[in-house]
Amino acid sequence: MIQIENISKSYGDIKSLSDINSRIENASIYGLIGSNGSGKSTLLRIMSGIMRPDSGKILYDNQNVYENPQVKDTVVYLSDEQFFLPNSSVDEMAGLYASLYKNFSKERYSQLLNLFGLDGSRKLSTFSKGMKKQASILLGISCCPKYLLCDETFDGLDPVMRQFVKKILAEEVVERGLTTVIASHNLRELEDICDHIGLLHKGGILFESEIDSLKQEIHALHVVLDEDKSIRDIFTGYHIVSESKRGSLTTAIIRGDKDSIEEVMKNSSPKFYEIIPLTLEEIFISEMEERGYDYSNVLF
Amino acid sequence: MGVIMVDVKSRIPIYEQIIASVKQSVLDGIFSTDESLPSVRSLARELAINPNTIQKAYAELERQGIVYSVPGRGCFISSDTEKIEKQHRSQLESNLKALMREAIRAGIDVEEIKAIAIKIKEETLNDPN
Repeated sequence: MIQIENISKSYGDIKSLSDINSRIENASIYGLIGSNGSGKSTLLRIMSGIMRPDSGKILYDNQNVYENPQVKDTVVYLSDEQFFLPNSSVDEMAGLYASLYKNFSKERYSQLLNLFGLDGSRKLSTFSKGMKKQASILLGISCCPKYLLCDETFDGLDPVMRQFVKKILAEEVVERGLTTVIASHNLRELEDICDHIGLLHKGGILFESEIDSLKQEIHALHVVLDEDKSIRDIFTGYHIVSESKRGSLTTAIIRGDKDSIEEVMKNSSPKFYEIIPLTLEEIFISEMEERGYDYSNVLF
Repeated sequence: MGVIMVDVKSRIPIYEQIIASVKQSVLDGIFSTDESLPSVRSLARELAINPNTIQKAYAELERQGIVYSVPGRGCFISSDTEKIEKQHRSQLESNLKALMREAIRAGIDVEEIKAIAIKIKEETLNDPN
């Protein structure tokens, strides 16, 4: 488990992170979403143990990571700007990683090199942007870490490669119980991979939840009601997040699981109704609005 | 295998899609009693989805009594497939009721609906597929 405890960090006058707390369970894939400048990269750098926070600590299985080589041996951090030694090939970089990480697996490395279809002896400087990204992912996974921290690693991969990387991650989770933290500014990049998601805004975690339960607890309802009835009369005891009317069609966002909303609808037998799950983005919009934030200022 | 399908672009949560897909496979006779579900590992790899999501869906199926798990061996379809059939039947009934209500509102006569039902029954008897 990763414990993030009271982490704060400032760069001079600029406050990057203020008093962040979170817990990430083992074998989980945690999505860290936030706009540019929200503090994602700073948090990941502190989590990797290379940057010292002004206050607070990061614990991996109860051990502080900062300047602790034993813990760092189990953590791989993939920066958004990949670093490769000048003039090096993938094989040479693999040699460097193997000298740094005790668990580096040559077998996994050559297997992944094959799967990615990359030439290990080729100079990295001749690689395209996407290929460099692939190389850094495969080097990171070859270290067989317990914890993988990815900074915008999935952004900009082509759909085939993305699917492929997702498969590898899924495999690592089942085979070795890998825990992954993926930071991105794009919710859609995280939606289909992560099981938990946290929203970072102005250096604080605004909101954090399990994706499946998030999606089950809130639904949109399209309904045509009889003239004398209103949504609020029918759904007494439910929290109605928003409600709008266009012609005879009422659209409401209601907190509740699908079955219980369906039950209410059946009992009041409207002319027409439809219950629709929300996308993660729509859920975030309503969650943010409920907390008094204007969504457009928070993301994208 | 290959009968559990998910569409990652759909609005319906992947978790619910897996549950619905297993239930449908039982109804279609693709899975029979005591047959094993694909392992979390193989399904995660095949569909490229988060294993934790699959684990959760399987746990929910177990809670609903549709599958049972044997530690170390995986999940199996329970003998109580009647439960799914019942659920399916009540779902069909409520869909049918909604459709009937709409038809009657639209001015289709009850006798006409009966005639359609009888005709469909005859057709199904003659050609079950």
